Amino acid sequence: MKKTARRKKDKAWTMAVPLYLFTIVFVVIPLIYIVVLSFLQKDVLWGVTNQFTLNNYAKMFDPVYGKTFLDSLKLAFATTLITTLMGYPFGYFMARLAPNRRNFVMLLVVVPFWTNALVRIYGWMILLRTKGVLNQALLALGIVDEPIKILYTYGAVLIGMVYSLLPFMILPVYSSVEKMDWSLVEAARDLGAGRIKAFFTVTLKLTLPGVLSGFVLVFVPSIGLFFLADLLGGGKIMLVGNLIKNQLLQARDWPFGAALSVVLMLMTFLIIFLYRKLTHSKDLEGFF
Amino acid sequence: MKQRKMHLSSLYLAFVLVLMYLPVLMVVIYSFNDSKSDVSWAGFTLEWYGKMLHNSSLMEALRNSIVLAVSSCAISAVIGTIGAVGLVRCNFKTKGLLENAAMLPIMIPEIILGMVFLAFFSFLNLPFGMMTLILAHTTFCIPYIFIVVKGRLVGIDKSIGEAARDLGASEFRMFFDITLPLVAPAVASGTLLAFAMSLDDVVISFFVTGAQTNTLPIKIYSQIKLGVSPEINALCTVMLVFTFILILISGRVGKTRKNRTISKEEQRR
Amino acid sequence: MKKVFALILAAVLAIGTLAGCGTDPAGSSAGQGEGQTKDLNIFTWDGYIPQDVLDGYTEQTGVKINISNFESNEEMLTKLEATGGGDYDIVIASDYIIDIARKKGGIMHELDTSKIANYNNIDAAFQGQFYDPDNQYTIPYAAGTPVIVYDPSLVDIDIQGYEDLWNPALADSIVAMDDGRNLIGMTLKSMGKSFNETDEAVLEQAKNKLMELKPNIRTLAVNQLQDVILSGEASVGYMFASQAAMAVEANPDLKVVYPKEGMGFGIDNIIVPAKAPNLENAYSFINYILDPEVGAKISSQIYYLCPNKAAAEFLPESFTSNAALFIPSEVLKNTEFIQDVGETTAAYDKIWTEFKQQ
Repeated sequence: MKKTARRKKDKAWTMAVPLYLFTIVFVVIPLIYIVVLSFLQKDVLWGVTNQFTLNNYAKMFDPVYGKTFLDSLKLAFATTLITTLMGYPFGYFMARLAPNRRNFVMLLVVVPFWTNALVRIYGWMILLRTKGVLNQALLALGIVDEPIKILYTYGAVLIGMVYSLLPFMILPVYSSVEKMDWSLVEAARDLGAGRIKAFFTVTLKLTLPGVLSGFVLVFVPSIGLFFLADLLGGGKIMLVGNLIKNQLLQARDWPFGAALSVVLMLMTFLIIFLYRKLTHSKDLEGFF
Repeated sequence: MKQRKMHLSSLYLAFVLVLMYLPVLMVVIYSFNDSKSDVSWAGFTLEWYGKMLHNSSLMEALRNSIVLAVSSCAISAVIGTIGAVGLVRCNFKTKGLLENAAMLPIMIPEIILGMVFLAFFSFLNLPFGMMTLILAHTTFCIPYIFIVVKGRLVGIDKSIGEAARDLGASEFRMFFDITLPLVAPAVASGTLLAFAMSLDDVVISFFVTGAQTNTLPIKIYSQIKLGVSPEINALCTVMLVFTFILILISGRVGKTRKNRTISKEEQRR
Repeated sequence: MKKVFALILAAVLAIGTLAGCGTDPAGSSAGQGEGQTKDLNIFTWDGYIPQDVLDGYTEQTGVKINISNFESNEEMLTKLEATGGGDYDIVIASDYIIDIARKKGGIMHELDTSKIANYNNIDAAFQGQFYDPDNQYTIPYAAGTPVIVYDPSLVDIDIQGYEDLWNPALADSIVAMDDGRNLIGMTLKSMGKSFNETDEAVLEQAKNKLMELKPNIRTLAVNQLQDVILSGEASVGYMFASQAAMAVEANPDLKVVYPKEGMGFGIDNIIVPAKAPNLENAYSFINYILDPEVGAKISSQIYYLCPNKAAAEFLPESFTSNAALFIPSEVLKNTEFIQDVGETTAAYDKIWTEFKQQ
């Protein structure tokens, strides 16, 4: 009995073969290319020369570039925090709706994001302008006496970031709450746990994998969403994504751009690793 | 008590949804604006809709974008889902490594990924066009589906699978009858997200497309000489309306179907 | 949920077939070898060639135009290089990138001007520049200068040059282009130096001066700078002439200033890649573009200076009276191209990174 189960278990890996192949061809090979590129020398005119150097990494110790990393991390953490606080209840409530409503709300959440991102940001700009819709509403309601400057501030960037990434928290949370075993929550309550205590000891713990997925899907892109910072923040925030783009396009220093990318990736992995450790989400246990 | 709580949660859902639709609503309103810029309201017009319909290059870009998003999402849904299921169930030494590697495409800044793809595809001598676009988009769509499906699989009761196996279910049947229905919501969520990402991608698409395959985002982002044309607002509005009609129709269809399955389940009980 | 996907898929297929009828399969007929082909692949910013101009060419010749777009010159060159220039017939791009392409060699096709009947319509003032001293590769398409534009009703001071932008009276009220070379260059100009300064000590001074400009910057922007002025979000702008022209067209009360310290200048040119698949069509398209009436149609719609001297008489009044477009020739004499500065590029990048940080 045990033996057959064992054998069947071994066959499961075949399902991962396409993923393996695809990952090796389209992810690992490009990654090697990037790492190699990061150790090469920039050509003065255009492109790279085949000369080994460590300068691209050494350059990063310059406080100017270091600060860019810090600023990006700050914004990414703030974004992830707000997105989690807003997205978790949404995903949770959504999962508690009747099934047919649930699917409808899921589509409602995603459909705005099928509109082009740039166009959506212009929509925000119309809303947030000093003479924009929001200020006119605030003035008309008598909440403020003078238009407030929101556009081109840090606040505007945060609004845009949270807005753009919210579905990436909502949907993973939803899909993990939806499959949750509610009898466990009831059991906890039967044992005398209050509503709030039951939530924190049972519900939150059981849905943590969903939050983790959301964390990855929000945190990682939030480091790179620089065009949002450019448009809503008035181009006054320099993010790593921005810096990398400038290296490749304006400074034409591909190797430095590659080195920045490598460091950025390592940093992201480290943060996800720490997050996993801290939340004790033992990732891949329990299925079959 | 319970009634009121239901109310509050619906209110929260509604509030967040309104926030999500506000900027899109602006896009819709200004698609009727009789001015080249969205600085102020200058009266009602349908001019942009007419212009949009006659703009053949815009229509072609739209078609390319949709074909691209649908094909790459379909491929990545398959690879990502069975990959996640297979990985969770097997115990390999390289498992952790692959798992992390599979997340990489969303961690590599897209501009550098685009340039690498450009170098890689020219090295392989692939002709630039729809095929290279689909390959590249599939690469960065997989993680969205993979991560969400994996999150869903964690903690699902082992005993279900073991029971099925004890009853002699084949691997194949087990996947379709047990695993797939269990992960379906996650596959749907992940695919919807991936679809949005594919429909929006400009940087990677630019590097891997050919001379005859323009996509909608490339077209929009490259309108920097004269600013983004209000035709784009009109197009986005049409796409939005179209999507909603689809959702409404499918809601109708889904409802009748669901009622039927529910009654079947009840009979079984 | 399944139904939704099925429906979307069905809709996509429907659109696909519908649109498929419109696009003939000739798309794949490129590279039929010698002789007249039925395609022309153009690579440039979207909207940079007006639709009626494109339609006119197709009507005249029956050649189908495929347009693909890029966002920046650098992306364009990366692409052109990787594909060996094999996919495109006509590329419109900026001066400095053409300079790099020329120095690299092998990317551009050397033009045979005898095949271009309208060649003599080009205004010689736009030719023989640093990026193509012997006019071997380029046909000037459009030219522009960055200018200062401001709303006199909101600004108390009389702005005459770059130096005035540092005036404390302009606190939090300037919109400037999000472009390091241009803004650092503008600062250098205000110090009496060149846009292409390579002395690191001078650049250090420029950096310190640029940092002092920060309190006055409301926003940096890549596109639609005119909207920032028109919406009242900023009252002063340092932007490309085309954007200034659109601003002035929408609000004639705005004032255009040609900075007295001297202006930047740029020319976007048509080039033909070395391995253009439809070379004959590329020539006929260039000839068509140089037609006086077509030239006037282009310039008046894209708001750039017109390098086609024969087009002058066809330019509409609204074009010639726009202060951002009709720049006196003595002002144009005191301009400077922004060129590649080689090794110093890294220094410019660092200054710009520091400036953009909070």
